[in-house]
Amino acid sequence: MTLGLPERAGTARPALPRAASWLLTNEFGLLALIVGFGVAFALGTPGFGSPFNLFTLGRVMAIDIMIGFAMMVVIATGGLNLSVGAIGVCSAMTFGCLSERAGLPLAFAIPGALALGGCLGALNGQLIVRSGLHSFIITLATMSVFFGVMVFVTRAEAFRALPAAISAFGKARYFGYVSPLLIVSAGVGLSLAALYRLTPLGREMLAAGASAPAAELSGVRLGRTYVLCHLLSGVLAGIAALMVVARTGAALPSMAGDLGQDWLLPAFLGPVLGGAALAGGRVSVLGAFLGSALVSEITNGLLQFRVGEFWVQTYLGLLLLIAVLLDLGRRKFLASIGSVAR
Amino acid sequence: MKPRLRLWLGADWFGPLAIILAASIGITIFDPSFLSPFNLQILMLATAVNVVVAMSQMIIIAVGQMNLAIGAIGGLAAISFAGLMQVWSFPPALAAAAALAIGVTAGLLNGALIASTGISAFIITLASLSVFKGADLGITRAQPFYNIPAEVKALGDTTILGPIPWLALPAALVVAGMWRLLNRQKVGRYILAVGGNASAAELSGVSISRTILWAHGISGFLAALAGVMLVARLQLGQPSIGDDWLILSFAAPVIGGAALSGGHVSVFGTLFGVVIVAVITQALVIFRIDPFFVQVVLGLLILAAVGLNRMREVRFAGA
Repeated sequence: MTLGLPERAGTARPALPRAASWLLTNEFGLLALIVGFGVAFALGTPGFGSPFNLFTLGRVMAIDIMIGFAMMVVIATGGLNLSVGAIGVCSAMTFGCLSERAGLPLAFAIPGALALGGCLGALNGQLIVRSGLHSFIITLATMSVFFGVMVFVTRAEAFRALPAAISAFGKARYFGYVSPLLIVSAGVGLSLAALYRLTPLGREMLAAGASAPAAELSGVRLGRTYVLCHLLSGVLAGIAALMVVARTGAALPSMAGDLGQDWLLPAFLGPVLGGAALAGGRVSVLGAFLGSALVSEITNGLLQFRVGEFWVQTYLGLLLLIAVLLDLGRRKFLASIGSVAR
Repeated sequence: MKPRLRLWLGADWFGPLAIILAASIGITIFDPSFLSPFNLQILMLATAVNVVVAMSQMIIIAVGQMNLAIGAIGGLAAISFAGLMQVWSFPPALAAAAALAIGVTAGLLNGALIASTGISAFIITLASLSVFKGADLGITRAQPFYNIPAEVKALGDTTILGPIPWLALPAALVVAGMWRLLNRQKVGRYILAVGGNASAAELSGVSISRTILWAHGISGFLAALAGVMLVARLQLGQPSIGDDWLILSFAAPVIGGAALSGGHVSVFGTLFGVVIVAVITQALVIFRIDPFFVQVVLGLLILAAVGLNRMREVRFAGA
């Protein structure tokens, strides 16, 4: 499912049948790792395979996947969004305010919260396009502004008396261990895949990321495309935050850490493991999905092994390093095959 | 005299200095206690540590990269410094040297990974950020070290002369050293050259990977120094040291006129950028505005500064 422009290395091995070339993809590697780690953890600790643990793992996984998607949609154009966490917290607090203080039904509170996420994302996009600066520095600044305003407005107080329906959704289980949150993530993933595969807009986003001048010459309106990507990122961050609210049953200002920084690592881990090019133009929705799933699985397994919750962060950092190094090696290997074939 | 005046007006540090003077006069009119020795001491204490943090990021901006891990390196150095003194009763000087060595090693590790793989500094330092932070929390189990020797504590809360705290001394040395490095020494010139145009620098015989290593080594050293200074100032080895450095570390150099694409930074501009942040924080306290508002102000300052730098760039390019 690697989208965007075909890689030169890929054209060097047309002789391979489809099934065999699928075995060489990043997505298959991730799937094999997920199964491998799953078997190892299930054999190693009795707790890992229990229905309850699988259910909790599924919920965390669903949230991590959504955070990864929120970053992936801006990586597609070669940008990044450091304010995903801050936007997420703002959406969650807006939801809390709308449903608890204003007493609005969920049918209004949820779209309201997502609309705020979208607006903040669009604001990022506008600032980036208008100033012509890199999204790194703009979203670094807005991360501080959004989070600061949120704390200022809410006085850092949580919303805990939310409607029962939202936490019931977080607690619901299908077939004993499947969380509905996971189904939401899968649904969003399918929509994103359809966006990039089937719609002109999605193709334009990838084209703008692959080569902005070329895209502009072919009639892509770059500014509009960037703003839409950031808007989408804001909405997805909002969905992720509402999923956290469903899981914890409360809207907490501290849910993503100081300035929302705690979301940064999961946000990049999923897409990067999934084979997205940070320079833009190439993303894999399935890859990002599987990448985030692998990260949540490893985190959960390590906690079951009692390595200590503090060291888990170190392992995840090492995992990101290994992933980018392996990806580098894979690309060098494929390039060397390509140069031999030519 | 006239050309010199024009030179000053065009310098990166002139704008921030003018803002500081105007803000200080404005605040003093409302509340004369702003210039009291006690308040000046608080301002200088805040500036002393933050300027070292900002320089740690500035040297990486100079080479055209970014270092997300400075806070994690600073935290790791801080708890190593405090831990070595408390658990193994190292003398303070030796513990500080070990902490600084850890910082340099961590920085060199970042630099080596970036230079040898060519992967973006963003991803490498994001990964090493969580490696170092995890080690920091794993070693301390998120508990601070409380037994800090009296002489270290004294360094953090006594003054040399009038309101000037002892911690201002290492900060002043760092500022002077960075100015000399970037203006008078080969390594500093190489760092700016690689940041400005890496291929041109390489063609002129500059080793890019060695220059990147130098920049990250210096950055790690400064981050560790800031961590050690904070242990003295807070009087305890807090594992959360460094958690809130990221925004400030970019805000100050950018306010000081640094180009994020690399090759152009201003040491004194960065120093004044840090002072602006300290003055604004102090003003929020004096006017009884929510201190959380500092976050908003910092973010807006970054936006305003990058916008202004951009406009200046466009104007210079046109002229």
